[in-house]
Amino acid sequence: MRVALLLFSSVFASLVAPCAALAAPHRPASDDEIVETLPAGARQSDRATRALRAATARDPANLDLALRLATLDVARARRDADPRPLGRAQATLAPWWNAADAPVPVLVLRATIEQSGHAFEAAAADLERALAREPGNAQARLTLASVRQVTGDLDGAIESCRQLVDVASTALAHTCEASVDAISGNAALAYDSLERAKATFARDTSLLVWATTLQAESAERLGRIGDAERLYLASRALDPADVYTIAAYADFLLDAGRSAEVIAMIARDTPVDILLLRRVQAARRSGAADAAAESDELAQRFEALRTRGDRVHLREEARYTLDVLGRPAEALALALENWRVQKEPLDARIVLEAALAAERPDAAREIVAWIDRTHLEGERIAALAEAAR
Amino acid sequence: MIARIAFALAALLISTGAFAHKPSDSYLVLRVDGAKIDGRWDIAVRDLDAVFDLDRNGDGRVDWGELRTRAGEVDAYAAPRLALAASGSACPLRVVDHEVERHSDGGYLVLDFRAECASRIDAIDIDYSLLFDIDAQHRGLLKLDSGSVVSAVFAATHRRQSFALALPSPLTQLRGYVADGIEHIATGFDHLLFLVALLLPSVLVRRGGHWEPVDRFPTVLRSVAGTVTAFTLAHSITLSLATLSIVSLPSRLVESAIALSVLLTAIDNVWPILPRRRWQVAFAFGLLHGFGFASVLADLDLPPASLALSLFGFNVGVEIGQLAFVLVLVPLAYLVRDSRFYPRVGVSAAIAIVAGGWLIERSFDLRLMPF
Repeated sequence: MRVALLLFSSVFASLVAPCAALAAPHRPASDDEIVETLPAGARQSDRATRALRAATARDPANLDLALRLATLDVARARRDADPRPLGRAQATLAPWWNAADAPVPVLVLRATIEQSGHAFEAAAADLERALAREPGNAQARLTLASVRQVTGDLDGAIESCRQLVDVASTALAHTCEASVDAISGNAALAYDSLERAKATFARDTSLLVWATTLQAESAERLGRIGDAERLYLASRALDPADVYTIAAYADFLLDAGRSAEVIAMIARDTPVDILLLRRVQAARRSGAADAAAESDELAQRFEALRTRGDRVHLREEARYTLDVLGRPAEALALALENWRVQKEPLDARIVLEAALAAERPDAAREIVAWIDRTHLEGERIAALAEAAR
Repeated sequence: MIARIAFALAALLISTGAFAHKPSDSYLVLRVDGAKIDGRWDIAVRDLDAVFDLDRNGDGRVDWGELRTRAGEVDAYAAPRLALAASGSACPLRVVDHEVERHSDGGYLVLDFRAECASRIDAIDIDYSLLFDIDAQHRGLLKLDSGSVVSAVFAATHRRQSFALALPSPLTQLRGYVADGIEHIATGFDHLLFLVALLLPSVLVRRGGHWEPVDRFPTVLRSVAGTVTAFTLAHSITLSLATLSIVSLPSRLVESAIALSVLLTAIDNVWPILPRRRWQVAFAFGLLHGFGFASVLADLDLPPASLALSLFGFNVGVEIGQLAFVLVLVPLAYLVRDSRFYPRVGVSAAIAIVAGGWLIERSFDLRLMPF
């Protein structure tokens, strides 16, 4: 009975939620009407965070308090997949936010927040400043490697990873290096290196998930589809909620034409935009009845971000515009705008797909050259690059 | 070490854009009308929770009761963080209602508010500082509606913005003033009744001691045209004089005198007391009615720059309305002029009673009449 009730209420909620977005303002009839549900993770940590926040408010110039609160907020942003705590961390760090010579921990936190808003240049500059003063800061090294990789500076990324050997564990340095190798013509090397690293990470789930998903992606690029699937599933089993892994596996399934499994894996009411995008793509390909409503919901979320001036979802918006709306010219413009900022394999791929669909392969010339230069592996990307050549 | 690295991993994954929600926004809509602003401000419940710790029963949800009982505190918090000003003086705002709304990322409290500026708003200065102290990535998304809609975004680094309100094109303005003039005559019963009383005898001619129907319609037209022209000329003169502040009379005196003019004209239709020439009556009383029109125009709170345009447009509107009324009234009167029941006396008496009521009401500042 309870199960049936729960099932019913969750189905009901998923039916009602998209309609609610369109409701006009109203005055609730009863005091018991729920206006907002707070993020699930918020409750346990809230008391401690609130106390810390109150202490920081009383003494905003206290660096120690500010760092503790900002670190908590950044971790919470990750855990709840919620950008709000990042803005709060930034506000907490306000006394040091514009100072070039801010303390090293502030520089690292600032870089983390900057890169989340795709201010990659500012983030890299802050991390380099931090490392100049504290070369042994492993966190700054790893973050810098990630920023360089996202912006397409693969040589710089490898260099940062290698320097990790001296300040962190070898396995971590190798995993970092493997993440770059996997997209620069050394996927086989990366695959084996990750296999070894995993043995060391056995006790740390988040590192293990990271390495396993990277390994699955490497296998995919090498055309080892069976291994890729096995590894994606292994990673999913370790942490079923890991957004990055769900997204990567959904892409794997979409490429294999297994839309139904994507729809089964990603709940209709997922609050995470990059997951909803994949579900909408799958629903559209399989001709699901409610594809249009989900698509509208996603369009609203993009619109909301555009209105506030955020340009962090260009990759997803380009994919949506091409695959769901079927407007290749617009998708190409978005994909190229995104390419100016982000240069990961998915960013290259959407430019190629949009350029080919728009019958403007010349627009993707820079991407073809980039693939040649980086030796990015993968049957699909190679075929796209060939078609655009 | 592991904890620090886990944190670094968090940093890695943040860059993938795997966010469930958008960052914090508020939605601010301002509708400017004359010197008034009608506002609606949607603030996320999650942001209010960060300030007020709304979830008192700790169930992870905020219900209407938890929100409603804190609404006063929210008003006191929010209102000073939105400073509106026009022509250098502040427009204090007052929250008049609270509602709730859902946006794509959750529940919002809606503050409905009004703000009054000292004079008609040509440009507005907005200083927005909500939540920036606790969320540096907060944005205030503004829609400013003054006929045409302007959008803007307020950010921590971009808190103060000024907007010159797009004035409608002169033609649109003119059309608006003409419409104001027509509306005023159409709803101004005193002016309409004056016209009725004034024109009622125009289809009749006085021979000896009694009234007879006029033979030919052109004769009627000629006399009506003369009367209406005299009325128009007269009220145009005083409307201009009053609007340009050359002559000004107390409104109560003007309104009472208008009522008296209606009363006298109606009585004159039964017992002649006014000059025989109708155009002279129309001209003399027209001067009074012009002052009445001017007070309406003054209430519209016009910008000095468009005074000439508004004066002209409003006057044209009054004439159009008046002419339309006359064009219906006179042919009707002409058609029934032969009838033994031509309601010269009855209608005049009724008008006299109404006008008498107005006269008493306006002279003694009472509230008697339903219109």
